[in-house]
Amino acid sequence: MSATAPGTVLLAMSAPAYWHCGRTIRKIDFYAILGCMPAVVLALWNWGLPAARVMALSVAACVVVEALSEKLMGRDLAIDDLSAVYAGLLFSFLLPAASPWWLVLLGAVVCMTLGKMVFGGLGASPVSTPLVGWAVLAVSFPLLLDANAMQLHTDFIDPLVRLKFFGAASAKSIPLMDLLLGRQINGLGAGQVLALFIGGSLLAGRGIVRWQVPLGFFLGVAGLAALFQMLDPAQNASPLFHLCTGSVMLGGFFLATEIGNTPSRPLPMFLYGVLGGALVMVIRKYGVWLDGVPFAILLANLTTPYFDMIRPKPFGGRR
Amino acid sequence: MKELFQMMQDPRFHLLYGITQRFSLGPQPQRVRLNREGCRLVEGVTKRAMVYPNMRLAVHPNPGKGDVLSPIFGKISDVSERSIFIDYAVPDEAQRQAAEAVEKIDLLATKETGAELATLLKRMGLNTRSLGQDCKMLIINGLNPDPGVTWAEPMLLAHQDTLRAGLEMLRRLSPAQRIVLAVPKELRLHLNEVEVAHVPSQYPASINALVVKAVTGKENPEGVGIVGLHNVWGLGHIAITGLPLTETVVTLGSREHSGNYIVREGSLIGELLEFAHIPLHTGDTLVRGGPLRGESVDNLTRSVTLGTAGVFVVEAGTIPPMEGHSPCINCGACVLACPARLSPSILSRNAEFALHDRNIDENIFSCLECGLCGYVCIARRPVLQYIRLSKYKLTQAAETRRRVEEEKAAALAEAAKDQGGN
Repeated sequence: MSATAPGTVLLAMSAPAYWHCGRTIRKIDFYAILGCMPAVVLALWNWGLPAARVMALSVAACVVVEALSEKLMGRDLAIDDLSAVYAGLLFSFLLPAASPWWLVLLGAVVCMTLGKMVFGGLGASPVSTPLVGWAVLAVSFPLLLDANAMQLHTDFIDPLVRLKFFGAASAKSIPLMDLLLGRQINGLGAGQVLALFIGGSLLAGRGIVRWQVPLGFFLGVAGLAALFQMLDPAQNASPLFHLCTGSVMLGGFFLATEIGNTPSRPLPMFLYGVLGGALVMVIRKYGVWLDGVPFAILLANLTTPYFDMIRPKPFGGRR
Repeated sequence: MKELFQMMQDPRFHLLYGITQRFSLGPQPQRVRLNREGCRLVEGVTKRAMVYPNMRLAVHPNPGKGDVLSPIFGKISDVSERSIFIDYAVPDEAQRQAAEAVEKIDLLATKETGAELATLLKRMGLNTRSLGQDCKMLIINGLNPDPGVTWAEPMLLAHQDTLRAGLEMLRRLSPAQRIVLAVPKELRLHLNEVEVAHVPSQYPASINALVVKAVTGKENPEGVGIVGLHNVWGLGHIAITGLPLTETVVTLGSREHSGNYIVREGSLIGELLEFAHIPLHTGDTLVRGGPLRGESVDNLTRSVTLGTAGVFVVEAGTIPPMEGHSPCINCGACVLACPARLSPSILSRNAEFALHDRNIDENIFSCLECGLCGYVCIARRPVLQYIRLSKYKLTQAAETRRRVEEEKAAALAEAAKDQGGN
């Protein structure tokens, strides 16, 4: 009897489309983690084992907390979609390499619970998951999250501290190469500017992150920085300096593009990016926070529903 | 831009496959299953009746729907509400004579036009609703309807005799003043018989509404009709053979194989796959229609009808499986892919929670049902299925509302009449 005779095979019923692009949540997150890998390598190069300790602890804690939450909520385990790994990695990128273990653990727990699971899991949170953990820690333990105060055993300097307290000339004296290669005091991954740029560009080129968001974000930062510098060159650093310090690279490519809390159409995505970038500069210039990226992105996240209202007329609406 | 940066890098979406081989003849079916939904059976068509090719079995009351004719010699093994089953049987002399006595009609020589011709064609089994639709301009959609379907190029290039006959008949049948054949922009086609328009060829460009837009520059313009090339081929085929239409062209495809066949209407999918040497294993998905818009069938005794574009086997493991509960994670891939500029994510979520009314404000009826939302969904949600469900529920609700209002109006009129009488 041949294989195509009736009754010999059991067919799988499905719904259209029967072909698929092959991308799944797990694959998207896997590629995103790969995109972080250059920064992981440079973080290890610049900060050594302490960085590895923070990253590993954060990732492990995030995965375990997500698993526990899902158990508690009576849901199927979904940690195999790698989104917890990715969130944990991004969260650790924001921390100083010398963070104590309990701080990392606490942050990871807050990330996964308040930043993700209370809203119902992946894609349901209104704001970026890693940034929720960071924000809670930043207001609770400002000293421990201040990389400049935590990283005492290093020759690196904090460029944003230079700019804020010593003026633009002092900031200008820091070689660009140091900034690019991560020889600056910063979050352990956020400072690996060149590595993040390479990884992020690859992701944007493959459509894993939508290129409109980082483009808008960097234009927002650079545009406002250029404006400030034009007005007062003695007080304000160049746009390039701002792009290479703090978490701008990390924020533009990885944090602002998180699934679920960014607008979905091209123009809104771009405008959302511009808003986030501009907020970074406003906070850096007028705020008490040196970096400004995390809070800028959290605020921009909140405007996503409004940007989503910008939408074209449906088919047939244009004559 | 979309192809470069987003998810649609699939080369199969370029609806031009360079296949120009003439169609192969399909198998002589051992069993056929004809769709008779809504049709009235001809007298004498009962279980165990003997039939011969081109014998009229059932008539549809709609003048635009073709009659059901037998494609083979055989014996009717079953008649149900929806189908007529015929088992092949070696014909005896009487049946042979009856089959030979079926009158050949030289359609190209007849004088009928318009509605008269449509009636003649209906009796020959052809669906004339879209071919003869009332419009000023009629566009023939000459693109492969779905990715993976490959019969459009051979129809345009290798079977031009059929195409020419079809065009000539169409000119007589259609009230349109202008008939335009839309073909992929990369296709070099020289036809003097018809005005040719070159349109984009990357799926979803083959969706009817998008072809109309590509040709006229307008979205849903008035007085423009569109008809599939498949249908024109059928028209040409009966003009050339002079016999009723009991054959159709399908693409039979899997990941490895693909071929175009002229098969008898009602051929069972199992027989076709066996004939085309396409293996099928447990866990595979069998699709009737196109791989993006078709329907999943549950067993091999389903059949192809005149409108079927193809039959496809999607092997288990070649695409990520759909795993039931899969909430939308708001990634926005479907929004970027949607050619109707809708938000399939929101439409599908509303449908999921039975909030169908909300989908009216989300312009659900602008949906072109191209299936791209499901193709790009990284959560593997059955997005198009949700949208179709919502559309169906909304149409049903509107129908019920209309009926209730009619009844109410009738009751009121009745009451008014009674009062007037007193």
